[in-house]
Amino acid sequence: MDFRLTEEQELLLESLRELMRRDCPEAYMKECYENHEYPQRFIDALTAGGFGLLGVPEEYGGTPADTVTMMLVMEEITKNGGPHFSFGQPLSIKDMLEFGSPEQIEQTMTAVKAGQAAFVLGFTEPQAGSDSGAIATTFKRRNGGVYINGHKSFMSNALRAPYMLCLARDADETAADKRQAFSMWWLPMQKPGVKAEPLKKIGWHMLDTCEVYLDDVELTEKDLVGKEGDGFRQAMINFEAERLLIAAGLLGSAECAFEDAARYACQRVQFGRPIGDNQLIQLKITQMKIKIENMRNMVYKCAWEIDNKIPVRISSALAKLYCAQAAMEVADDALQIMGGIGYTVDCRISRLWLDTRVHRIGGGTDEVMIHVAGRAILKNYR
Amino acid sequence: MRIVICYKCVPEEQDLKIRPDRTPDWSGAARKIGQYDLNAIEAGVRLAESAGGEVLALTAGAGANDSKLQKAVLSRGPAAMYGIKTDEETLSDSLATAYLLKAGIEKIGGVDLVLCGEGSGDIYARQVGPLLGALIGWRTLNAVSALSFAGGALRAERSLENSREVLRVDLPAVAALTTDANLPRIPGMKDILAAGKKPVTIWDAAEVSAPPPRGAKTVSILAPEKQERRQIIVEGESEESIAVFYGHLRKVLR
Repeated sequence: MDFRLTEEQELLLESLRELMRRDCPEAYMKECYENHEYPQRFIDALTAGGFGLLGVPEEYGGTPADTVTMMLVMEEITKNGGPHFSFGQPLSIKDMLEFGSPEQIEQTMTAVKAGQAAFVLGFTEPQAGSDSGAIATTFKRRNGGVYINGHKSFMSNALRAPYMLCLARDADETAADKRQAFSMWWLPMQKPGVKAEPLKKIGWHMLDTCEVYLDDVELTEKDLVGKEGDGFRQAMINFEAERLLIAAGLLGSAECAFEDAARYACQRVQFGRPIGDNQLIQLKITQMKIKIENMRNMVYKCAWEIDNKIPVRISSALAKLYCAQAAMEVADDALQIMGGIGYTVDCRISRLWLDTRVHRIGGGTDEVMIHVAGRAILKNYR
Repeated sequence: MRIVICYKCVPEEQDLKIRPDRTPDWSGAARKIGQYDLNAIEAGVRLAESAGGEVLALTAGAGANDSKLQKAVLSRGPAAMYGIKTDEETLSDSLATAYLLKAGIEKIGGVDLVLCGEGSGDIYARQVGPLLGALIGWRTLNAVSALSFAGGALRAERSLENSREVLRVDLPAVAALTTDANLPRIPGMKDILAAGKKPVTIWDAAEVSAPPPRGAKTVSILAPEKQERRQIIVEGESEESIAVFYGHLRKVLR
């Protein structure tokens, strides 16, 4: 096995580090977090540096990159204290590039090229979190139009994104297979009948998360994305790579927390010597390091599997599950090592601790990952 | 206009270790393009973008043969890279380095303008640019903080201690750029991938030049002696505190 990065990957990460030194210093992150502001300066710098189009096919003006490289970039951003949501558009727009009409693709790419999120992923609803089959938002044809009614929950970026990729159920469904009742719709967020209300969260303050109410929002047939009745299948095509992207971001934030804590352990003097001289601190540092190594191995291997067309249903779920839990443990141990100062907003470990926690819920909960992986693993032994 | 940018691959300063005998240990250090040279590269590329022309990169020393460093410099805009292999000792001497670079520039041929960084990232003697200009016999400028090309001549701004000098300079010329000349661009993936396809030419030093003369002999390089901090803390803002503080300063300065 060759664990070395290619020269191109090393140079790309060097460029990213330089870009972050200039446009994503910790003081800026702290300011954005405290003011609940979107880090536009950093996003603009990533866009200008070509990172917004990394992984996008050349035919759409992008620079193709393999999954390993994409994960390395994600890891590097969070390792340097950057926000998880700042990278990964190329993975999230895959649905649109695959199933969107030429006009929808153009609208998507216009936003992506400008460094904006093209759309809100409109799947989750109050009664349909992990259980997407319980989606109650409907589409109904009436007087030559298509009308959407429903309530979407936990919509990240709803205040900024120009569109919602809305999964809705046919109000007049008759199909025997209930899954065929769902279709995807391209819903402009500025349409009459769309109302977004921001949620107050305990963390994740640089990105808005909203409840979105859809009240008889009028669309036309051209707003259908892909094939009618294929909404579920279309939604699933990129779940595994997106799960892995979350895992890679968690790996980076765990490394960030670890390095802050390790440096602090060498500097903080108590009872006449650095606290790192105490074996209880060394135990924490060692266990944190083991978890980070495990996270890295799982993320890189799964990325390599995707690049080599090896199925990753199990390994992507395991990576997401493990990284979400292990990163939280690492952040918590880092905060413990840093003590009182770690619990203040002056120290970024408090931000990492708060922002890491959400990933045991978002992008598929721990429990859903166990469900996905557990069933698939046992299937191999039947 | 053919522009050659001279740069040096230097050890990463964060990797520097000091041995117990105070000599520097660079053995574990990664190499990078000297940080001051990045401004020269950017200035050359911008000049060619605005006035037309070709930008080539030239280095001497250990980094010449390093394919990652070749891609690193080419990803910043130059169309081709030339390298002269030589030992570290030769490179530690500014005159010898300037001789080698001069030979490289002559071998490339047809060069109108040579740009250098203000100084190398490791030694920072700030001599190679002016020495190179003197050896080739071209108009030579240092402390250049802005460059443009108009009316068939170079327009150069120099940052001096209390003033800013604007000069019109006919080519050929050699100029050393200051770090405030520009903010070097950050290469993206497209630039990095394109860099791997650009031509690279590597020469042995003997191919381009007779053994260069040395201008200086290095006797020793030692890190400063470590001084124990005295940890005298004077608290308060009263006249007495200030007098105590002053007393300590006087003792040290005597």
